[in-house]
Amino acid sequence: MIKNVSDVDMIIGMQNVGIRYGQGAEVLSDINLDLKRGSFHFLTGKSGAGKTSLLSMMYLSQKASRGIVKIFGRNVTYADRDSLALLRRKIGVVFQDFRLLEHMSSFDNVALPLRVCGMDEKEVRKRVTELLQWVELDKKIKEPASTLSGGEKQRVAIARAVINRPEILLADEPTGNVDSDIAYKLMKLFVELNKLGTTVVIATHSEKLITDFAYPRLHLENKGLKIYRPVRDIHLAQGDDR
Amino acid sequence: MTKEIINSRKQEVPLQDDNSNVFLQVMVCIAVFLFGVTLAGVLSVNAMLNAWNESILGALTVQIMPVVENNQDAARAETLRQQSKALEILNEWPGVEKAVPLSDKQLNRLIQPWLGDGVDVSDLPTPRLIDVKVKKGMQINFMKLAEKLSKDVPLASLDDHKVWLDKLIRFADSLRLLAMVVLVLVVVVTSGAIFYCTQTSLGLHRQVIEILHLMGAKDTYVAQQYARKTSFLGLMGGVYGLVLAIPTIFMIAGLAKQIEGGIVSETTLSLADWGIIFSLPLFSSLMAMITAYYTVKHTLVKFM
Repeated sequence: MIKNVSDVDMIIGMQNVGIRYGQGAEVLSDINLDLKRGSFHFLTGKSGAGKTSLLSMMYLSQKASRGIVKIFGRNVTYADRDSLALLRRKIGVVFQDFRLLEHMSSFDNVALPLRVCGMDEKEVRKRVTELLQWVELDKKIKEPASTLSGGEKQRVAIARAVINRPEILLADEPTGNVDSDIAYKLMKLFVELNKLGTTVVIATHSEKLITDFAYPRLHLENKGLKIYRPVRDIHLAQGDDR
Repeated sequence: MTKEIINSRKQEVPLQDDNSNVFLQVMVCIAVFLFGVTLAGVLSVNAMLNAWNESILGALTVQIMPVVENNQDAARAETLRQQSKALEILNEWPGVEKAVPLSDKQLNRLIQPWLGDGVDVSDLPTPRLIDVKVKKGMQINFMKLAEKLSKDVPLASLDDHKVWLDKLIRFADSLRLLAMVVLVLVVVVTSGAIFYCTQTSLGLHRQVIEILHLMGAKDTYVAQQYARKTSFLGLMGGVYGLVLAIPTIFMIAGLAKQIEGGIVSETTLSLADWGIIFSLPLFSSLMAMITAYYTVKHTLVKFM
């Protein structure tokens, strides 16, 4: 069957999506979203606005209470467990609370997505060592995650999210626990991945990041979603040549 | 499934720290011990039955009841005369290879468990026994022989050991049934224990498992880790159970030897029987692995 163009271009799509926990009121209502392949977005909103809920639907941890969620053009509402697992392998996630396996080393944590896919151990060793060097954790390669500082854990979490070159990268406050130099370096990594074709969504409270990296913003407010284009784009659209 | 589980070496779920590990090993140890001892019992009774069958097939015993009268010498002489008559008939009977009377020494040994040492059967009105060996491949007309003996030697009776054999077969059947009941109980109880321990462990490691799922792990990936660990626990528990069962089997065999008193032949387990008993830890390991694997697959459906 030939898919239509919009399905091919659309990597994350939501139509009238609502999400509620238990019998409570909806946390998010009537979310409509169409993220194209290779796009880069910030996700903003006050604490409790539903950023983590929206991200969790994107990384297939949470099912929508209503509406249609399409990931890689596929309606995931009725996807079986094995299919969801295969889709998740193409999504890299950086969690706000890192979600590392505390009893395992930095190396094993970063190697996890590759091992889950059944990659050859030699290749795993090569890739993980390189990436840990890049995030300046090569000296902590054998350290259990439980002994790492907050910033180090965050870098391990980011390395784990990008190790298998995901098609979608979702990050929840990825620079929250690192100093500005490392934050900038990590953002450059996300930008580089984006240039290679990875679709990136970064949830953040940092206005500085949003200003420094001019990408569209998905803003959650009053349970709904608004999309703001970066100021530079607006100026360009209006013919402003500043 | 087994091959995949053995080849897979990664262990992200920290199952080695589970408190239930010791409990599972003890459960499997008890199960293998119970089943091992029962199985040894069944196998040795089977071996005994086969040995009896072989020795009894082609053999008859003729018993001459003693003549009882005040004159002991005359009574003994009459008993021996009847024995000679019976021997004469038996040795001429078609199909009989030879008929040999048991000596006083042999008779003494037979009654020794009941009357102790130092009793001379020649002083007692004990029955005389004739051991009859049938020619190979020949069948004796048992009814006709019994008829002839009762007519010519009224004190003689013929025994083809069928009663003994039937009793032994019934005993062996009961033991087999008992073994089946023990096996079913052991499998049900052990599988149940593995099921609940695995479910508890899954609850305990829920966060780790969710992280694995988020990284794209299928349920099979997690199930393999549980299967591998539980299989090892099953193997170790089985080995401990076997280590306990073997001396117990020898102890029971020793006791049985003491009470046999020459009534039944000595029973020994063959190499093949020992092979079956020694494979029990492998069986327990396999059972543990399969139970854990399917418990995880069944339970993870309720997870993320």
